[in-house]
Amino acid sequence: MAIRQCALGCAAFAQLKHIYENREEIPAKLRAEGVKVIGKMGCDVPDELIIAGGMLPVQIYADPAKELKETDVYLEYAFDPMVRAQFEKIVDGTYANQIDALAISNSTDVIIRTYLYLRELHRVEPEKKVPEVEFIDWLFTRKPMHQKRNELIINIFWGAVERWAGRQVTGDQVFEASKLCNANKAALRRMQALRCEGRISGCEALVIIGAGFFMEKAKHTELVNAVADAAKEWPVIDAPKVFFTGSNQEDTSLYQKIEDAGLLVVGEDHDWGARVFDRDVNLELSPASGLVDCYMLREFSSKKAFVSQRVDALNREVKASGADGVIFYTNQYEEAASWDYPSQKESLEAAGKKTLGLFKMLWPCDKNEGLAEAFAGLAADMKGGRMNG
Amino acid sequence: MAEEKRPEKKPEGSRSSAVKKLQATAEASAYQKAWFADLKKRVEAGEDFAYLNADVPLEVLRAMDIPFVVNQWWAAICGAKRMTRKYFGLLRDAGYRDDLCSYCATAFAESLDPDDHKIDPETGKELGPWGGLPTPTIAITRLTCDCQSKIFELFAKQHGADFYVIENTVARKAPLNWFELDEDRWEELYDADRLDAAVEELKELIQFLEQKTGKKFEMDKFIEVMKLINEQEGWYKKLRDLIAECHPVPVTVVDTINAVMQAQWQRGTRWAADHAKRLYEEVKALVDKGEAAVPNEKYRLMWLGRGIWADFAFYQRFEQKYGAVFIWTMYLAMGADAYIRNHIEEDPLRALAARYIGMEDFLHMPPWNSQWYIQQAKQNDIDGVVYMVPENCMQAVEGSYFIKTALEDQGYPVLIFKADPVDERKWNAETMGGLVDEFIETRVIPNKDRKGER
Repeated sequence: MAIRQCALGCAAFAQLKHIYENREEIPAKLRAEGVKVIGKMGCDVPDELIIAGGMLPVQIYADPAKELKETDVYLEYAFDPMVRAQFEKIVDGTYANQIDALAISNSTDVIIRTYLYLRELHRVEPEKKVPEVEFIDWLFTRKPMHQKRNELIINIFWGAVERWAGRQVTGDQVFEASKLCNANKAALRRMQALRCEGRISGCEALVIIGAGFFMEKAKHTELVNAVADAAKEWPVIDAPKVFFTGSNQEDTSLYQKIEDAGLLVVGEDHDWGARVFDRDVNLELSPASGLVDCYMLREFSSKKAFVSQRVDALNREVKASGADGVIFYTNQYEEAASWDYPSQKESLEAAGKKTLGLFKMLWPCDKNEGLAEAFAGLAADMKGGRMNG
Repeated sequence: MAEEKRPEKKPEGSRSSAVKKLQATAEASAYQKAWFADLKKRVEAGEDFAYLNADVPLEVLRAMDIPFVVNQWWAAICGAKRMTRKYFGLLRDAGYRDDLCSYCATAFAESLDPDDHKIDPETGKELGPWGGLPTPTIAITRLTCDCQSKIFELFAKQHGADFYVIENTVARKAPLNWFELDEDRWEELYDADRLDAAVEELKELIQFLEQKTGKKFEMDKFIEVMKLINEQEGWYKKLRDLIAECHPVPVTVVDTINAVMQAQWQRGTRWAADHAKRLYEEVKALVDKGEAAVPNEKYRLMWLGRGIWADFAFYQRFEQKYGAVFIWTMYLAMGADAYIRNHIEEDPLRALAARYIGMEDFLHMPPWNSQWYIQQAKQNDIDGVVYMVPENCMQAVEGSYFIKTALEDQGYPVLIFKADPVDERKWNAETMGGLVDEFIETRVIPNKDRKGER
């Protein structure tokens, strides 16, 4: 199924797809015009502040084809393969030519370690072309001290943004940037509603969402709304609906395998999918409080949450998406979600959802054998269930 | 059923038990057993009982007289009792992966064992390690790892215990000489806001514990606990310095690890401080008598990483063949350098904050770990470093490249190998021993010879 002709025939979608497939194009053009580009690693770096500073946030991503010459020197094997590949581009000088600085949030252990290693590399091997790094050290437990501490943390990052921007970034500018980002999320939610109806495929959704990581927010919003307008008329995909939980999917290759097997991915909880538009900045709060509220009170991530929180979160997300089945898929060395899985599976199956668990997966996904059969098996199981049900 | 019995056979490649020479080591083991038996009685009598991760500020619970067991110590006991194979089978049966987080998942796995508190009808022996872990009512960990809090929550749920987590923050400033700053000048060592946050955490923890247990936190008692810890760790500092200056050393890591680690989890008690003193005095007496752990000591080895709990004899297998002696592990040296906090009365909770927030960083954050290892290698006149990198623990991923490079730049050969500190299924002493043999022959000996020629 993958990306359909109806989508390819939509000019707005075609633009998004071009940007998704040519991720350096817009950042390079803007840099040439004097706009600073800030790389983001981790899912909790606030776009709003970077945009308020007149800069372009872009997501760091991996190149599956790149040989890991540098990474194999510096990183232990316990780093998951996608982060290893991201690290290669940071350390081998690729990103030194594409971004002006790198913001890293403590969204997972592996990313925290990446920050520590990059900081140490700056110290011991300053000749390496590693971008300047700033770290955002959120608290995740939502205890009483969380709000106060996190406002301090966001203000520290605010200072870094001002340093990069070479000017003061005012509260009003953050407010305006927050409005811009909220509008973007609203557009993406329009898209998501159509996706849940079956009018937009999982692959198409990844393209629509992911393009936003590499372009100006206002333009992205415009294109997403245009796609949503068009997609109302796109045919409904008649396939069992599944929710995807687990590893980030930086491209559509795995979703394509899932959807080629006769399933439809209607939602996900990873950072290259629906989690991006989970919660708005509350514009009634102060700018810093609004950002803390937005980024720290989003739905729980698979990394920084307890098992019970993850069970409830997945139940809510699956219900909201309308999925009848759930695919658990985590890459090798991406272990945390493995501890959630038995409880989540039990809870979902008690609610009548079909599940498929795939762990210790090789990356990129093409390295794995038997995926098509596994997805086809789930599809057959779900179709059987639907027919019987 | 055969599969429910404790495995009798030692893992392939394992040698005989490690030879321990110190009375203090035996004394610590005996004390732990008596203490554990008493703890069980207290729990059976209805007292709250806490299970803690090692980086939790246990000083608070000590001051409040809340009995607790530390996860890493208990995992080491389970590993030493060779329960891992059984426990990780139970994890697998319950739908969990059996190849993850062995250090932290051991106690959760044990909680799935229906025989943990039973007696073997044939042998009359307890089936669980030391009769099994008593049922905790509180489980506390820190968010120093994505997996750990999940495992602790599962563990707490399995036991019906209250689950409590303490946040972790990352150092923005990282002065290289933490080991010179931490005892007195911690305001220079840490970002002030990290200390502020940690103090708030401690206040919340105290509030939680007071509400849960009905026991009151008394500052005077807490200060007493902190002073006892300084006393205890002060003896470790003297001991570490004594061993460092002795050629040959009077004791090896086989004696010091157990003597120190067991007492470390009793820190804040009179017994632990006195035991540390007796340990020092016993070793000092050996030195005064001119006794050597390995009389033909030729090469002094440093062990980086967690202890090989399932095969302590491993450390001794290079002594006769090469005169290569493992003289250094973090267990004694951390006591010497990482725990002491002076002028406690000025702000007791901040002093504790200045201890516990650094524990992970000292060991797992470059450059703090690498710089400390260099300083320790120099002080202990080390000839080679054997560095065990765990296979399945992100928390222990600590910049092995930076550590290895930093040490080798200073002239210390480093062998890195992958192993698991708890899971004997992944341990083969012959293979690992072969690696160390080769390392000694091809790098340690030639390196020392070259130094001697200069």
